Amino acid sequence: MSHAAATRTDDDVPDDDAVRDDERSDTMLLARMAEAVYWAGRHLERAEGTARIVQVHTDAHVDMPVGEDVGWEPLLAIAGVDSEFAERYSSASGPDDARAAEEDVIEFLLHGDGNASSILASLTAARENLRTARPVIPREAWEACNNLWLASTDHLAEADSREGRVRWLRRVIAGCQCIHGILLGTMSRDEAMSFLVIGQNIERADLTTRVLDVRSEFLHPRGADDPYDVVHWMAVLRSLAAYQPFRRAMPARPQGGSTLRFLLQDDRFPRAVGACLTEARAELKSLPHSEQAQEACQNASMVVASAPVARLAVDGLAEFLEDVQLALVEIHQRIDETYFRPSFVGWEPTTALP
Amino acid sequence: MDVTAPTETSAPVPTAGGTDAPVWPSYDPAPHYDELVGPDGGPRPAAEALWKHLARLGPEALAERQAAADREIRAIGVTFTVYDEGVGVDRPWPFDILPRIIPRDHWQLIEAGLVQRLSALNLFIDDCYHDQRAVSEGVVPADLVTGSPNFRRECVGVDPPGGIWAHICGSDLIRDDQGFWYVLEDNLRVPSGVSYLLENRMVTKHIFPEMFRHYSIEPVDPYVGHLAATLASVSPSSGDPTIVVLTPGIYNSAYFEHAFLAQQLGVELVEGSDLVVLDDDCVYARTIDGLERVDVIYRRVDDLFIDPEAFRPDSMLGVPGLMRAWKAGRVALVNAPGAGIADDKKVYSYVPDIIRFYLDEEPILWTIPTYRCSDPESRTFVLANLPDLVVKPANESGGYGVLVGSQATPEELATAAQQVEDDPNRWVAQPIIQLSTAPTLCEEGIAPRHVDLRPFTLMGPDGAYVTRGGLTRVARRKGSLVVNSSQGGGSKDTWVVDAPADPGIAAGFGAGDGSAP
Repeated sequence: MSHAAATRTDDDVPDDDAVRDDERSDTMLLARMAEAVYWAGRHLERAEGTARIVQVHTDAHVDMPVGEDVGWEPLLAIAGVDSEFAERYSSASGPDDARAAEEDVIEFLLHGDGNASSILASLTAARENLRTARPVIPREAWEACNNLWLASTDHLAEADSREGRVRWLRRVIAGCQCIHGILLGTMSRDEAMSFLVIGQNIERADLTTRVLDVRSEFLHPRGADDPYDVVHWMAVLRSLAAYQPFRRAMPARPQGGSTLRFLLQDDRFPRAVGACLTEARAELKSLPHSEQAQEACQNASMVVASAPVARLAVDGLAEFLEDVQLALVEIHQRIDETYFRPSFVGWEPTTALP
Repeated sequence: MDVTAPTETSAPVPTAGGTDAPVWPSYDPAPHYDELVGPDGGPRPAAEALWKHLARLGPEALAERQAAADREIRAIGVTFTVYDEGVGVDRPWPFDILPRIIPRDHWQLIEAGLVQRLSALNLFIDDCYHDQRAVSEGVVPADLVTGSPNFRRECVGVDPPGGIWAHICGSDLIRDDQGFWYVLEDNLRVPSGVSYLLENRMVTKHIFPEMFRHYSIEPVDPYVGHLAATLASVSPSSGDPTIVVLTPGIYNSAYFEHAFLAQQLGVELVEGSDLVVLDDDCVYARTIDGLERVDVIYRRVDDLFIDPEAFRPDSMLGVPGLMRAWKAGRVALVNAPGAGIADDKKVYSYVPDIIRFYLDEEPILWTIPTYRCSDPESRTFVLANLPDLVVKPANESGGYGVLVGSQATPEELATAAQQVEDDPNRWVAQPIIQLSTAPTLCEEGIAPRHVDLRPFTLMGPDGAYVTRGGLTRVARRKGSLVVNSSQGGGSKDTWVVDAPADPGIAAGFGAGDGSAP
């Protein structure tokens, strides 16, 4: 510290750290609350993301000639619940019915018993977490979430027909958007907000990689000039709300290389993995003790930035995406250790002891 | 009509009979005192504008507004938790849209009475943990203090800031068949309900916005600011204090309120496991930036659970060492541990004497005559008159264990008599006060239902504050006197208005003494 102000004693000069701590004490954030908002961000994102994917898949399914379609199993794979589904429904469908029935898959994804990441389960978890975090989030945001949960539960029967399903899913998407809008428009950019945004972006990045992973398996079953490749890539973009932004950014026919580049590396489209990581890292920078989590974030960014997209469009995408997902898990673990577990490294009193 | 009374705006009144025509011909509160309707079947002076408005709306519009209120309460997520076979279920908060109206003249007396009462009770609590002058000078028996299950030896000799132990009090007030006000209970431990009071007003503003043009209604929102100031005023640190609300957790029946208050105050809502007491006797919260010192804890956890080191070792809700920190003056607990000593039904019967002893004033609010069954003469009287009395355990709250003699079966009366004989110390009895009624929207239309009132009083070293009005609780079952929400009661918004009072009632203040006849 500079001693230029010679007339003052050391005691008189406010110490930089002390000032920082004083400012912080105004917005003290409990570790437990931070965890609740982080998970609320993730669950809301998962609910919205799953709703988009189911909606788009239903649309795309209609476009495919009967027999050319890819069935409904990909949805289960994207959501990562194929084994849970099999456990639940194996006895129901006979041996000659190899493909999972649309109704079963949809029911399972939207609100099925035994699916902890169904849309309804995600909404319920988001609501519980926001309920815990009520003191640190705007009242309206909690109300909007509670309302969405009530409406989704009240109209559960809708979800089981193709026609009602569209309405039900739209409500979920609009409801999640409404909650985000309230948070953006009324919540202070404080530490609680940072945790929410971080959770949201990690979940988003994860979902984008899952969509790419599963969709890629169904690409070019007849070689690279499969006539339905374009339809598939359009569905990939649409399920991530990326079709229009893609068209504007890359006025090309959606095909492997350009789509992958956009969804992995674009830094302006909010659902591109690169953009999610940039945003998460920016939020981490404003948090105390975030060095390790930032580093993990940067590692993930580097993996994504160095992706050989043209080659991946033809081969090796699944392995590459696995690396990205591991990098995402790493970020989560650093955050979890640093903030949510009581034994973290920087754990000591910040106020001077008497 | 008095020129200062609220008057109608230009809209014509469709009721042919004028303002005094009975809007609800079958509405008959007799023999009870009704809050809004006078003995002639017309509105009391303060209720006239509301009366006319309800007549204009008609039953269908009213039902629609009730439905709108229910929807809003569900959407906002105002809930309370009831336990059914061990499983907690969130229920929407039951709310009746018809407000209860109290003239400001009455309220000023009630307010003065509540502040007087809480001042005296705080002096009494402080005395209990110091010299016990009230005992040595014969105002109360020694057993009332040291023999009470709410007496905490750990608190002896502790000096909380300003000598204030009970900072937040939720009193229960009732009115008898003449309309006279009584204090029924002083809740000094962890009284709840203030969030519902505030939310009820919020909903009413949305449901009856037009009524706020007809009435000048005292706002209830300032409570939160006063609560924040009261909490800050007892902080042991200089500078901006760090305040937290301590909740038993998400499964507590009042969790909604804990979260609501933390949110309104802009402070953290902590559970026991979020706090830790270090060797310096200071309390710290586990934050994302390490441990941060906590100065004031508005605790919504009962005494016996706040510190497993000092009290129940099996408590998972508390913070080990919290009592040590409090006794060392490093943290303020609101209300202070041990404040419950002044909150039992036997102490209640001595409150008029307690007020006279410490303040040298006559009590402003009436206390219901209370028979202490430990006293042989009273016991004989109680046993001989059970059907005309209410028998209560001296140390319970929430309406548990209360027997209303007039509504009890012979078997219940026999059981009660046996209980009194077996353990007379545990029981007190009071004459049955027929609670006042208020018009309530019921299945059969607007009907009289019994109500009570829970205002909240704040007290700190810098002064006191009383909510303007309170939480009106209503027994939704016809004839029922049980208003507790845990037992199916509902609630109403309560308006303290600038409108004329009924003549005569105000004279009832300060005339009662509360000693058993």
